Amino acid sequence: MCLCLAVPAHSDDGDAILKKVDRNLNPEVFEMYRKLINLEPDGSKKEFIMFTIKKGRDRIASVFLSPASEKGRATLRLGENMWLYIPNVGKPIRITSLQSVTGGVFNNADIMRLDYSAEYNCEKMEQQEDLLVLHLKAKTRSVAYDSLKMWVDDKKLLPSKIECFASSGMLIKTLYFKKVKDFGDGIVRPAVIETDSPLHKGYKSIMIFAKMKKRDLPDEAFTLNFLSRVESLR
Amino acid sequence: MKRTLFAFSVYVVCLLLTFLQPAFGEYEYGFDLSEIEKEVEKKPYHIGGFLEFRPVLFGLDKDSAFYKIKFYDKDEGSTLEQYNSRLRLEGSYHKGIVGAFFRADSTLWYGYEGWDGDITLLEGFLALKPGPSFALEAGKRVAQWGKGYAFNTVNFVSRPKDPDDPTEPVEGYYLAIADWIKSFGGPLKTLAFTPVILPVTESINDKFGEPDHINFAAKLYGLLWDTDIDLLFFTGKSRTTRYGMDFARNITENLAIHGEFAWLPGFDKKSIDSQGRLYTQKSDIMKYLLGIRYLTTNNMTFILEYYHNGAGLDSNDADNFYSFVDRAYDKYLSTGNSSDLNKAAKLSQGSLSTFKPFRNYLYFRGSWSEPFDILYFTPAVFSIINLNDRSLSITPELMYNPITNLQLRLRGGLLIGGKNTEFGEKQNDYKVELRVRYFF
Repeated sequence: MCLCLAVPAHSDDGDAILKKVDRNLNPEVFEMYRKLINLEPDGSKKEFIMFTIKKGRDRIASVFLSPASEKGRATLRLGENMWLYIPNVGKPIRITSLQSVTGGVFNNADIMRLDYSAEYNCEKMEQQEDLLVLHLKAKTRSVAYDSLKMWVDDKKLLPSKIECFASSGMLIKTLYFKKVKDFGDGIVRPAVIETDSPLHKGYKSIMIFAKMKKRDLPDEAFTLNFLSRVESLR
Repeated sequence: MKRTLFAFSVYVVCLLLTFLQPAFGEYEYGFDLSEIEKEVEKKPYHIGGFLEFRPVLFGLDKDSAFYKIKFYDKDEGSTLEQYNSRLRLEGSYHKGIVGAFFRADSTLWYGYEGWDGDITLLEGFLALKPGPSFALEAGKRVAQWGKGYAFNTVNFVSRPKDPDDPTEPVEGYYLAIADWIKSFGGPLKTLAFTPVILPVTESINDKFGEPDHINFAAKLYGLLWDTDIDLLFFTGKSRTTRYGMDFARNITENLAIHGEFAWLPGFDKKSIDSQGRLYTQKSDIMKYLLGIRYLTTNNMTFILEYYHNGAGLDSNDADNFYSFVDRAYDKYLSTGNSSDLNKAAKLSQGSLSTFKPFRNYLYFRGSWSEPFDILYFTPAVFSIINLNDRSLSITPELMYNPITNLQLRLRGGLLIGGKNTEFGEKQNDYKVELRVRYFF
């Protein structure tokens, strides 16, 4: 009933679909605001707001605007290099993709996500009713999740769910893409990503996207020396 | 009585937390983009900071050199308490390419000498930022150079950070600093040049070095083959010329390495003779550090850093100083003459007052982020080991952010070492500290 097509091993079609998914999720160069909400089983929550810029497949920088305790913290990712700037410390320090600058279920790789096609190859693609299921394998060992299983709307080419696995095959977390919204300028994408994890039962993290728009940005905006000044681009 | 008061402070904070907790429970997740868009509206100015309360209980070591220097004519019992409060204010204003920033601390504390307080401008500068490729800033500013976590050897134009609290800001110097950045394709992704002018007079940057000179420093940064590399130098007559390099690199997704190296030719190296006199000798000095940061799959982070300070005091200097203090104290007990103890006090406020003044140290920190699904809770322990005399400090720490903008930190510090060792001769055997910060 559900399986109509399966393209095994390395899938060029799957890679092409993945690149389209990337472009549908965001333009090549853009800015956006995001609210991150960590929800605990007792209903308590903590919110963060960040301003983010991204250019190309593997350059992204963010700065926290709130809460007050986090304001000014900035992160930069250039491919597999990641840094965190803490205003008190006064200099960027290297961090790793598995850490989390916010706590909660999202880690740095989720918050500073590169294009999926920059980090993963599609090994297999299946059709399940009106969804494509992409089986993605990390290109290198330094990627946070060893493999992904991505459910994609076969018409809109937008993801609806992604399961993230460790190299052992253990499910680390699931991302749910919700509330598709027109941000203008041809950007139509889910405005909410929810995530939960079997490793943190009862906990949930939510990312809400706002004011996503195309913007010309110089390469120098994605450098270590500029990290403390990212907020000046708002 | 003292310990009761300290415990009462801790109790009051816990009680407040209990009452605050329900106010932040029960959340219904809603989705309203217009609300978020209102929240992110940009204002040209910003004012923020935090309010801090920090009671500390010290367990005194009455046989130690530093206890004798400080309390030779007092009897403060076996413990001391100190109540510290701090208001940190930070502000900024931006209009077009011009901006201004300040960070200031107002502190008030109560200890065995009564009430005291201080106001310090940590940073205050004007900035010109015509674009991401260039920035120019002038005023009191921290130019924090180097890759070390607890220590630094190439921080040529900033005050040393405290290895016991390396993420706390230091006070800046008055300087002018520029930043020119260029990005490339290929293995060299970024090149940045950062020149600095740092004047020293009787009234400006007077603690930096010899007055009435203008000093120059520069840093050349490159991101080459995914490795951060800095080449640094300082020259001027306030301090001797020095050269440095540092690097940092992620080896895997959970392992990073870093290092720093500094060369100080013709440095005035300080030593202490058996009569407690400070003397200097010119020598070529090398300082370096190497460190790793490792993250385990269950979110534990380990930091290990080895630090060699060629300009630091050696075992002979330490023996000479501690022996001199012992003799000075015996002299005071037998004659009532405290002149040698006062001399030792002056010495301790000079060379020995810098953070970790000796030659070889190992720093270790292990922390566990959000264990057992307790969000925003990080237990940690760190240790600083003086490799020359085998004395050490061990500091367990509990950090918790129970509600937005409230940060709690409980620390205990244990100093371990024998006679004539750095940590064995400190004024305290142990300390317990609670720090409560509310950010606004």
